[in-house]
Amino acid sequence: MNRVPAPVVATGVGALFLLILANFTLFQVNQRQQALIVRIGDPVRTVTTPGLHVKSPFDTVIRFDKRNIEMINAQPEEVTAADQERLVVDAFVRYRITDPRQFYRTLGQESVATDRLDRIVNAALREEIGRSTSEEVIAGKRAQVMAAIRDRVAKQVAASNLGVQIIDVRIKRADLPPTNEQAVFERMQTARKQEAAELRAIGEQKRREIVATAYEEAEKIRGDADAQRAQLFAESFGRDPGFAAFYRSMSAYEKALGQGDTTLVLSPDSAFFKYFDKGPAG
Amino acid sequence: MPWNDNAGPGPWGSPPPNDGKKDADRPRNEEPRGGGPRGSGDPPPPLDVNALLDRLSDRMRQTFGGPGRGRAIAASAFGLVALWAISGCYVVQPKEQAVVTTFGAYSRTAQPGLRYHVPWPVEHAELVPFTSIQTLDIGGSVSQPVSDERLMLTGDENIVDLSFTVQWKVSDAPKYAFNVRDPDTVIKDVAESAMREVIGRTALTPILTTGRGQVQDQTEALMQRILDRYDVGVSIQSVNIQAATTPAPVLEAYRDVQRAAQNAESAANNARGEAAQIKQAALGYREQVVREAAGDADRFNQVYAQYKLAPAVTRERLYIETMQRVLEKSNKVIIDNKGASAPVILPPDAFRPKSATTATVSEGAAR
Repeated sequence: MNRVPAPVVATGVGALFLLILANFTLFQVNQRQQALIVRIGDPVRTVTTPGLHVKSPFDTVIRFDKRNIEMINAQPEEVTAADQERLVVDAFVRYRITDPRQFYRTLGQESVATDRLDRIVNAALREEIGRSTSEEVIAGKRAQVMAAIRDRVAKQVAASNLGVQIIDVRIKRADLPPTNEQAVFERMQTARKQEAAELRAIGEQKRREIVATAYEEAEKIRGDADAQRAQLFAESFGRDPGFAAFYRSMSAYEKALGQGDTTLVLSPDSAFFKYFDKGPAG
Repeated sequence: MPWNDNAGPGPWGSPPPNDGKKDADRPRNEEPRGGGPRGSGDPPPPLDVNALLDRLSDRMRQTFGGPGRGRAIAASAFGLVALWAISGCYVVQPKEQAVVTTFGAYSRTAQPGLRYHVPWPVEHAELVPFTSIQTLDIGGSVSQPVSDERLMLTGDENIVDLSFTVQWKVSDAPKYAFNVRDPDTVIKDVAESAMREVIGRTALTPILTTGRGQVQDQTEALMQRILDRYDVGVSIQSVNIQAATTPAPVLEAYRDVQRAAQNAESAANNARGEAAQIKQAALGYREQVVREAAGDADRFNQVYAQYKLAPAVTRERLYIETMQRVLEKSNKVIIDNKGASAPVILPPDAFRPKSATTATVSEGAAR
């Protein structure tokens, strides 16, 4: 026999037919997806549970992401805060497609959604940051400002009925524009210069204080010394002022004139020469 | 059934593909990504290609021409089924977990080891790095800084130059795999946003000095809170500030402040030195003055005691002795001008210091 047995052929053909049928009527939705079933242009139902599903052969399946999706500002926005300071703000939005049918009708595809969300977010950024001072945006109330932006975006998105739910809007960066940045650098520099000058002045003040205090103490010590000296002299010399004057004069002559560099012009009349002229008779 | 009695050699002439499920070393057709190193068994025996081809053509002839055709078709079908079946084997490495989906829907998480899933198109296994810690650098490295990620505004409207590292790991594999698109980007964006929020409410000085730990902890907590809200299935292990400095344009000014502080300190030190010197000098003065005065007084007292015994004599003696000592060392010019009518003119030499005027000029001078 040169033929394949009939049962085998039948099984093969049957399997092939089944496969083709399955291909037209079965479809998978994976864990990350949700699907919209479109029957000749008409979105008939949505499938959000992952797994194997049945459709009619004429239905097309459009799959959408079910996950938390990020949308980043196309361009950092320059926004004016309530105090007229300008800020460059960069935000990201996280959203989820909650209603594929609505999403398909209003936006169609993600790029459109991104575009739409970008505009809504930018408007909200301007609005909310415009209400706060730059200081509040950067420092004090960033969390509140972000929450306000998120609520505003969420409300707007819900009202527009886009089939999208906003999970979060967060400011990634809120920086000063480059020119203001330069101004901040300058301010930081001048603040530091002031600090440095202050430190140096304090150093100088300290130096003077320390030296002056030492001078004061030193003078007290010297004064004390002089007082003691005066007291000692008064005690001893005071006993006989006449002799003290004589004695003191003697030691003064010795000290003042006894160094050998003096030329004395003397008269033989002086007391020292009492015997010089007149001889021992005096 | 024709394939039940398939005891003979397999359709390809090689040993029959018996029970492929147990045979881990058989090539897996559909090995998931990240599969580990293949088991390296014994090297295959050298193939005799000609003999193999001969046998193969023999088989072909048998299969499609000979009488055993039906059996052979059944055998090939069985072989194909067996191959398909063993393609479901896969290896989960110790640092991984696998999330298995059945027709796309998550069905289970597989732990490390050799695992099996029903092959395509029914089930699919996806490997997720699980216990290994991932590192994310923000602001770049030291050699390659990403400047626009580094500059951040602080709470006191200064700018700090900061880079940091986030260490994280997957804490829930199915969440990580299915809940969020592009989870690694989420982590990076959340890290940047959280760090900037925390820096934005902290003053510059603590960031540069003592407040680092606090900034790290706050950022870590904030990141975790946000990521939990997104349900990413990730846990933050640590946030580490790598470098926090003042931006380059103000660095010099900061250094100058440090220099000024040092200068002030050294000025004070110098002053303390000077002060000590001044005080010591005064103490020395006192010591000297008082002792000298005491000495002088004491000497006087003693002389006075003698003087009291014989005032006139002592007085005379003191005078003469003193004059002697004074005149001894001095140049002396003695002029008796009682008879002179004209002023006496002395030669300038008379006023030279003693050494230079050994020869005393005046005729009246006595040596």
